[in-house]
Amino acid sequence: MTRVVLDRLHKSFPTQPTPVLAGLSLDVHSGELVALLGPSGSGKSTVLKIITGIEQPDSGDVRLGEQSLLHVPPHQRGAVLMFQKAYLFPFLNVADNIGFGLKLRGASKQQMRSEVGRMLELVELPGIERKFPGQLSGGQQQRVALARALVVEPRVLLLDEPLSSLDTAIRHTLQETIRRVQRELDITTLLVTHDLQEAIAMSDRTALLLDGMIEAIDRPEALFQRPPTQAAARFMGISTFVTGQVEGAQLLAPWGALQVAGDGERPHAATFAIRPEHLRLLDASAPNAVPGALQDVVYNGEFTLYRVAIGADDVRIKAYQAVPHQPVGTPVYVQFPPEHLFEVLV
Amino acid sequence: MIRQFVWNIFLVLAGLLLFAPVVIFGLYGFSTRYFYPQLIPSYWSATTFLRQLTDARTRQALILSLEIGTVVSCLSLLVGYPAARTLGMRPFRGKSVVYMLLFVPTVVPPVATGIGLNILFLRTGLAGTVLGVALVHLVPVLPYVVFTLSSVFARYDPHYEYQALVLGASRVQVFWTVTLPLIFPGIVVATLFAFLISWSQYLLTFLIGGGQVITLPILLFSTVSGGNPQATAVLSLIFVAPVVVILIATSRYLATDRVHGQSGITL
Repeated sequence: MTRVVLDRLHKSFPTQPTPVLAGLSLDVHSGELVALLGPSGSGKSTVLKIITGIEQPDSGDVRLGEQSLLHVPPHQRGAVLMFQKAYLFPFLNVADNIGFGLKLRGASKQQMRSEVGRMLELVELPGIERKFPGQLSGGQQQRVALARALVVEPRVLLLDEPLSSLDTAIRHTLQETIRRVQRELDITTLLVTHDLQEAIAMSDRTALLLDGMIEAIDRPEALFQRPPTQAAARFMGISTFVTGQVEGAQLLAPWGALQVAGDGERPHAATFAIRPEHLRLLDASAPNAVPGALQDVVYNGEFTLYRVAIGADDVRIKAYQAVPHQPVGTPVYVQFPPEHLFEVLV
Repeated sequence: MIRQFVWNIFLVLAGLLLFAPVVIFGLYGFSTRYFYPQLIPSYWSATTFLRQLTDARTRQALILSLEIGTVVSCLSLLVGYPAARTLGMRPFRGKSVVYMLLFVPTVVPPVATGIGLNILFLRTGLAGTVLGVALVHLVPVLPYVVFTLSSVFARYDPHYEYQALVLGASRVQVFWTVTLPLIFPGIVVATLFAFLISWSQYLLTFLIGGGQVITLPILLFSTVSGGNPQATAVLSLIFVAPVVVILIATSRYLATDRVHGQSGITL
C-alpha cells in the first residue's frame, strides 16, 4: 500500500521565535498506525498540515511511496485529514456529507448510496443518512467524519486529535473503532495526540515529538518501559533519575552505591531512570534500598502516590497496593530493583 | 411592566413614523380631488397610478435603477469579497487603519466625493454614462459590503475548507460547494445593502450622470419640484415597492444565519 516518508522537515512561523519543526524525519510503513505524541505547541498538527499541503515546509520533503508530494496540489494528494472537531458541512445531511468526496469524483447516485451505507455500517451508525450534523452528538459526528474520510479510500489517513473533545467513555470506544477500521482497511495512518494513553493504546509505533524533532520512536510498550532519553522518560511519566559513576554493576550515586543491571562496562558517568511504579517503599532496610523521609501521601484510588526526600532529591513512588498509613516525616527506605533501573541519554 | 409599556409606545411611534408616509402616498396616489380638510379622499381612482405606471419615462427609470442596482451589487461583491476575507481572517499590521479608511466614504459628504470624481470621470469619458454612475455608486456601497462580509469572515472557520480540500475538492470547487453555502446568509445581506444603497442614490447619480442617466430617484426629484402631489405619491410608491418586496424575501437571512445561529448582521 502506501509508505509515508517525512524527510528532514523544517518549518518556522514569522510570529514564533523558535522553529516549529527542526529537521523532523519519520518513516511510516504501509498499513501502520504511528502515533505522533507531543506537548501542545510541539508542531504535531503542523506535520499533518504539511502532509496534506495546507502548509508548506521551509525545506525537506514529503513522500508517499516513491513520489514526492510537495508539488502535488492538496486535493490530489490522497491524504485525508480529520480534525479535533468533525467539521461536517452543516448544510448537508449525513449521506451527502459522507458522499462529498465521491460526488467530486463523479460517482453515480447508486454507487454513492451503497458506499454511504457501507461506511455507516463500518462506523456503527447505520440508518442515519437523512439526519443533519446538528442532530448528532459529538461522538456520532466524529464517526460520520471518519466515514467521510474513509469513503474516498485515502492513501494515508491523518488524525489530528480527533477524540480529544469527547468524553472519556466515548473516547475509548472510538479509539477501538478507529483501530479496528484502520486494521480492516489496512490504511497507513498518522495519529497526532498529546494523550499518552491514547498514543499507547492505539499505535503500532509511538513517536515522541519534542522541540521540532522526533525525540524517540518505538513500539508503545518499549517506549513506555524503556524510554531512550531523559526528555522522553519525563514525558512517559518518569521523574526519578539517578546520576553517578558506573563501575561494573554498581552505580555510585551521591547518596550511596546502587546495584544496576549490566556488567563489564567500562567506567563512565551515567544517568539511570526508574518508573515510579517500580520503586518500592519499605519501612526497614533491604538490598539496594536508600533511606529517606516520607514527605507526602496522595491516595488516588487505583494507586497511592508517595513522595520521599532522599538527600536533596524528591522521589515519587506509585504503589498499587497501599502501604500501611504512616505520618509525614517518618523515616522510610526506597528500594531500587536493579532489573528496573535503566540508563538514559541526557 | 413600565419598561414594557414604554417600549410598546416606542414601537408604535416607530411604526407610525415608518408607515405613515406610505399610507399618505396611498391616499394621494389612488384618489382625485383630495384636498384639505378631507381626512379621507371622497373620490377613489387608480387612473393616476396606472397612467404613471405605463408612462415610458417611469418605466425606463425603473428599469435603469434596477439595472444599476444589480450591476453595483455584483461589482461590490466581486471587489468586496477578497477584501472582506482578508480583513476578517488574517491578522496584519495596520488593520484598524484600513478599516478606518474604509469608513471614510460614509462620513465624507457625498457632494465632495461627487464633484471630485466628476472631474476625473469627465476626463475619462465616464461622466454621463450608466457605467460611470454604477461605478460612483460603489463609493457609498463598498464600505457596507466589506463590513458585512468581514464580520462574517471574522467568525468563519477555514477548517471546513481544509476538510473539503483534503477530500479532493479543488480551490474552485471548495468555493462553490463549501464557502458559498456557508457564507450565503452574509452574501444575501451584503447584496441587499448594496442594492438598497444604490437604489436610493440621488446626489451621486445626479453629479456623475449629469442629467443624462435618469434613474428613479432623479425622476422622483424632478416630479417633486413639479408640484403634482398625485404624481409624486405614485412615483414614491413605485420607488418603495421593490425595496419592500426584497426585504420580505430576504427577511429570514436578516434574522439568523445558518453557520453560527446568530444575527446575520453584526457590525
